[in-house]
Amino acid sequence: MQNRRRFLMSTGLAVGGLACAVPTASAQCNENITWDETVDVLIVGSGFSGLSAALNLNRKKVGRILVLEKMQVIGGNSAVNGGWLAIPRNPIQLSQGITDDSPEDLVSDQVKSGRGMAGVENLRAIANHALPAYQMCIDAGVKFKDGFNIQVGGHNKARAIRTQHGTGGDITTKLYEVSKKEGVEYRLQNYVEDFIMEDGKLIGLKVRDGFRFPDMATGTVRYIRATKGVVLANGGFARNKELRAIFDPALDPTLDCTNALGATGEVTMTAMSHGALTLHMNMIQTGHWASPDEGGFGWSNALLSISLHEGMAVSVLTGQRFMDERQDRKYCSEKIMANRYSDGTPAYPIIFFSYNDHPDDDRVVRALRDKMAWKFDSIEEMAKKFNIDVVALTASINQFNQSVKDRNDPLLGRKMDTARELKAPFVASRMWPKVHYCMGGMKTDVGGRVIASTTLKPIPNMYAIGEATGGIHGENRLSSTSCLEGLAMGIVVSQTIVEDSQGGQA
Amino acid sequence: MMKYIFAMMMALCCIGYVHAVERAPMKGGMDGRANHAALYDGSCTSCHGADPQKNVTDQTCVQCHGEMKKIQLDASRLPIPEANPHASVHFGEGASCLACHAEHKQKAPLCSDCHTSWFEKM
Repeated sequence: MQNRRRFLMSTGLAVGGLACAVPTASAQCNENITWDETVDVLIVGSGFSGLSAALNLNRKKVGRILVLEKMQVIGGNSAVNGGWLAIPRNPIQLSQGITDDSPEDLVSDQVKSGRGMAGVENLRAIANHALPAYQMCIDAGVKFKDGFNIQVGGHNKARAIRTQHGTGGDITTKLYEVSKKEGVEYRLQNYVEDFIMEDGKLIGLKVRDGFRFPDMATGTVRYIRATKGVVLANGGFARNKELRAIFDPALDPTLDCTNALGATGEVTMTAMSHGALTLHMNMIQTGHWASPDEGGFGWSNALLSISLHEGMAVSVLTGQRFMDERQDRKYCSEKIMANRYSDGTPAYPIIFFSYNDHPDDDRVVRALRDKMAWKFDSIEEMAKKFNIDVVALTASINQFNQSVKDRNDPLLGRKMDTARELKAPFVASRMWPKVHYCMGGMKTDVGGRVIASTTLKPIPNMYAIGEATGGIHGENRLSSTSCLEGLAMGIVVSQTIVEDSQGGQA
Repeated sequence: MMKYIFAMMMALCCIGYVHAVERAPMKGGMDGRANHAALYDGSCTSCHGADPQKNVTDQTCVQCHGEMKKIQLDASRLPIPEANPHASVHFGEGASCLACHAEHKQKAPLCSDCHTSWFEKM
């Protein structure tokens, strides 16, 4: 923030820029603005939400669509996410004989996970566009893993499919290439410094073109007008430690983050300064399936899709199980983070399964290759590596194997249907949560219109979708639903903007 | 001059540097890539145009090296075939050269934010 001010003070455009921040002076200020460019819709951010909005707006012939991305690559955090996508009634699910799923069934799981704080109508709008979102991907040439559709944490049915390479990049690259070919314009290194408002309506953006993240003293100021609206698809703020600490002081400051470095949230803050209502900003999700032995989102999530289902997690402090491995991420994160040495430093728990059940599985091969997991030929070897009491560890494995046989887990009440008998050699990795997702953000109506804090009505021409929004998921977002949200809301907001630009908005 | 530079660049491209490129002090007091030495004999304007303080864009790289997707890398030096940054599964054609490459300083390629063991600084 200080850097930003210093930058403003040092440029010739500082006076105009600062005056714009004062609402009462906005009309006067706007007269001084010379628009460098005019488009129909500006989209801020190029993740799932921004790409989907751009593609759909362009196909609806809304006019000239320009996507601004502040980083040096397209895709935001979506490009490095795990590529899990919850689609009720997807063809793989149907081919598995699961025919009783529905959008409403997904919403019901999400409402439960949201612990009373979810936006049911928003979730419904998203779930109802799941199949069109899936179809958009297929049409763009996105490949999903053959025959792969599984049940992930907190869902009552197998409905999560996964992209070919196990990354959202499989989706972002295709949506980018297809939409670009169809005429959408994209610009990298464009940082949004301020919104230009006129009589309470968002009419354009002040950007810095040629911005080099994270150097706030870079880029050339330009003013871009948007006649039909601005879609804020700027994502979350999980990478912004200062904001994280303000909203959730209880969040462990040592936690690493799964996100791309650009997830810093300043556009949401700018929207607040222009009257956007925000909510649930303190609800910041950690992913429990992360590893301290790699950067970013990493392989851990995929490896643990085996470990958490078939294997067991053990505390290195006691050699015993300490959580129901099948529970959702909030529960698991809390249980894992309770593992601490007496000085408060993390005692990373381990989680393991039988190597011989998956020797050639990609998830195993690459985890071992990149040294974020290890193969052990005996319990002793594993105990030694992680400094665990070998007697306690042996007893825990025996007890777990009995529970597998009985299909009953008296220790922690886990559903044992996918658990397998554990035999050496083992594949083991370490666990520690990473900050993953911001449930909080701008309040929107079901169409993606940003709500004003003063009137509780939509701010004209200001739209927000994806992780930048708040109050959708409530306390806890379920796995594989944010990819869905971004893709689906891109479709929804394009319909909203068409309606509003035809005079539908009051 | 530009013709000479271009021919030299093409020749160097064929050698196929994939990882670290040596840097050396160049004319003008900046460090630069050894294989760009001839560019410094002109002046900063060879790359920066009229204003040396102004950052370059991808176009500066592309005018000599061609488009990213057509620049071949030595596949035998990649940890896995999918780790080709010029055909990234994460970014595809949506990556700026500058996400991984710098001229006057060493830069950790973007990929190494997550794939900590895969790439050297370039």
